Amino acid sequence: MGTLSFALKNRLSELDVLCDRLRQFCQASGVSKRQTFEINLALDELFTNIISHGFKDDDEHHVHVTCANQDDVLKITIEDDGIPFNPTAAPHPNLKCAFKDRDIGGLGIHLIRSYMDRIEYTRKAGKNVLVLTKTLRAV
Amino acid sequence: MDITETKHDQYSIFKLNGRLDSNTATGFEQKLFECIEDGTQRLILDFQDLDYISSAGLRVILKATKNLKSAEGKLVLCSMQDYVKEVFEISGFDSFLPIEATLDDAIKSV
Repeated sequence: MGTLSFALKNRLSELDVLCDRLRQFCQASGVSKRQTFEINLALDELFTNIISHGFKDDDEHHVHVTCANQDDVLKITIEDDGIPFNPTAAPHPNLKCAFKDRDIGGLGIHLIRSYMDRIEYTRKAGKNVLVLTKTLRAV
Repeated sequence: MDITETKHDQYSIFKLNGRLDSNTATGFEQKLFECIEDGTQRLILDFQDLDYISSAGLRVILKATKNLKSAEGKLVLCSMQDYVKEVFEISGFDSFLPIEATLDDAIKSV
């Protein structure tokens, strides 16, 4: 079982740090390149959401990420002290509507739902805590 | 992310290299819309060397497509990695965007 914990500051440039840390963790855990991409995308969408909408002040905040791989089930916990936001309750985007009515709203969360097996949200001690689970496939 | 723009008589090609995420999407949007505002209506996005795309990148592509369609223009994508293509499929973007296998095919279709 491998675990990795790290903190990201609340700025978009930290996406590069997220990518690097995740790549190291996935390589060490034998996760395929494709699944590494999928996990990176889900975490990116989540982190970008938190940075864009989560904080109403100009202070520095930290988003804490913990990845654990146990028997090829990857569990990722993301904690932030931003405003309460439950992505599991967000509406699903309409992907079948006419082109002119298409917009980008909700697509990030749709991608997270598509690439992860389970998403659980709790609000605990003033923090949003999201647990993403993905079963890793052998390739 | 590096963006290389090649202008031809009838169209322009943007070759993207690296990661298109919320950190790099703004720069990409600026370059793309400068080109559209200069009067180019037929654009190809070559994704051969694009390693990564998030919904921030899709947002720019949707905005550009809407802009070009209203001006009788066209945006064609090509040479995507499988896993990048899957993001377009999951998002339903493959229903309104032409995605060609190769740059040659894209040039024929643009």
